[in-house]
Amino acid sequence: MNLHFADYLVILIYFVFVVAVGFIIKKKITSSNDFLNSNKSIPLWITSIAFISANLGAQEVLGMVASGAKYGIMTVHFYWVGAIFAMVFLGVFMMPFYYGSKARSVPEYLFLRFDEKTRALNALTFAAMTIFSSGISLYALAKLLEVILHWNFDLCIWIAAGIVMAYTLLGGLTSAVYNEVLQFFLIVLGLSPLVIVALQDAGGWDTIRTNLDPQLTHAWKYMGNADTNPMGIHFMSLIFGLGFVMSFGYWCTDFLVVQRAMIAKNMSAAQRTPIIAAIPKMFMPLIVVLPGVIAIALTKSALDSGDYRIPIDATGGYDYTMTLPTLIAHYYPSGLLGVGITALIASFMSGMAGNVTAFNAVFTYDIYQAYFFKNKSDKHYLNVGKLVTFFGILFSIGTAYIAASFNNINDFLQLVFSFVNGPLFATFLLGMFWKRTTGHGAFWGLVAGTLAAAITHGLTIAEGKGGWISPIYPISSGMGQAFIVASFSWIANFFTTIAVSLVTKPKPDEELRGLVYSLTEKVYGTEKRWYLKPAPLGIILLVITIVLNIIFF
Amino acid sequence: MSEKLNQLSFIIGIFFILVALVLLIGYATTTPLKHGINLYTGMAMMVFGLVMIKLKA
Repeated sequence: MNLHFADYLVILIYFVFVVAVGFIIKKKITSSNDFLNSNKSIPLWITSIAFISANLGAQEVLGMVASGAKYGIMTVHFYWVGAIFAMVFLGVFMMPFYYGSKARSVPEYLFLRFDEKTRALNALTFAAMTIFSSGISLYALAKLLEVILHWNFDLCIWIAAGIVMAYTLLGGLTSAVYNEVLQFFLIVLGLSPLVIVALQDAGGWDTIRTNLDPQLTHAWKYMGNADTNPMGIHFMSLIFGLGFVMSFGYWCTDFLVVQRAMIAKNMSAAQRTPIIAAIPKMFMPLIVVLPGVIAIALTKSALDSGDYRIPIDATGGYDYTMTLPTLIAHYYPSGLLGVGITALIASFMSGMAGNVTAFNAVFTYDIYQAYFFKNKSDKHYLNVGKLVTFFGILFSIGTAYIAASFNNINDFLQLVFSFVNGPLFATFLLGMFWKRTTGHGAFWGLVAGTLAAAITHGLTIAEGKGGWISPIYPISSGMGQAFIVASFSWIANFFTTIAVSLVTKPKPDEELRGLVYSLTEKVYGTEKRWYLKPAPLGIILLVITIVLNIIFF
Repeated sequence: MSEKLNQLSFIIGIFFILVALVLLIGYATTTPLKHGINLYTGMAMMVFGLVMIKLKA
């Protein structure tokens, strides 16, 4: 793939704009709250797009196209099973506690609801996960640019990290959020033409369905038996593992995305943020799954109209991760090629900046301020927040260099999330809806859940990964393994939390008001019009989601 | 102008207009009709950019 002047010009314009956004925001940053929390002043449309864009990183764009090619239309489960329901649940039921409790982060909510040790455990694991994810994004970006453009790997790492550092240091969370919105539109508008021309080249959707194995063009039909679908999992595993444990664990408890809703101007906007974000999320498979399905159709069938093929890796199998870059190289001429490459760069930088801004808030508030220096001036915490951003990006660069041994980014990230997020939703579910849940219960539940995840991973093996205790249970895909690991970790956390809570002393009711469902006054009707209320909006979205599942059954 | 630069929709609008100009000028100066996709995408981005600017104008 060779870039020309027009392509470099588009990339340059993008770099100039993202850094310029940082400079424009800089003058508004006067306190730690501005830098780390955007002073809860961001309009609804921006928080909603940032909410979805924070998840539009490496995993989403390259990973989902790769999964679309590998697993076919079943990949839409990550949206229509694994996202929309959880996003609606977050908006309707959980945001009132996050926003109403005045917590500045998810770990801080855990402190208010439970105790210090539960917050510490969550803050430390979350901080490690965000740095790891950020490093993965950086590594993947540099590797991609090295492979497709033959750019220097080290130079890519340092330039990309430098640009993210520039705009996050200048404008903090607001700058990252603003750039996430720009990146969202760039990714959508930059990749949409690819879908149109590739679909046209493949002869349209009907031709694809005719030429592909039916297992690749049905979302549910072949899920009654794990051996008859490309993901290698039963529909019950999918619904529980992805649709409940991993989905709710990620969308409802991961501070990276929840933070975007917590910076909304008021409670109503905070509740509607994930629900409005669910609208573009619902149609995102058109941009990130469909290209993969088209690619495998072009590769596998004898379509006369095109000569595109998914590249082959060193083992002789398809190199699914390269599906999107090779589609861009194949279909985009100079000019648009620059837009496509910039969209890819944007997706990686968006993912990295999202992780870094979540990391700096959690580290500053929940580790530094909570355990080291409690009563310093606001200027002190502002400076610490900037220092943490600087070192967070340096750590990301470090992790980027050690993240080189996985062939499918998506499978790998899902596995990491299943260790940390899998058990977490059980803690929140019990903590928010069962007032008897205690701090000891929550803490030991999280420990048990994480241990269960590790043990399950050690006893199962998929695509050569896991089985480090004893590979007694083979699973056909890394994705299926991640669902099972997450499921066991959730179950272990859920029952351990209940058992320990029943034998330990709960907090008195007066300390739990505003933090637990049964002790919180329900505030309905702050918005007069029905279409501004979270519940009716959520119900409409759920109905549309169910209809989409039926259409692609 | 300073106030407009603080509006995200204005910044996004300017960005997409510039990218659209790159695509449209590139289309106009290369072999005619060879890269029609640049033309269509450039026009779409131009319209989007103008709408984003108009939103807060």
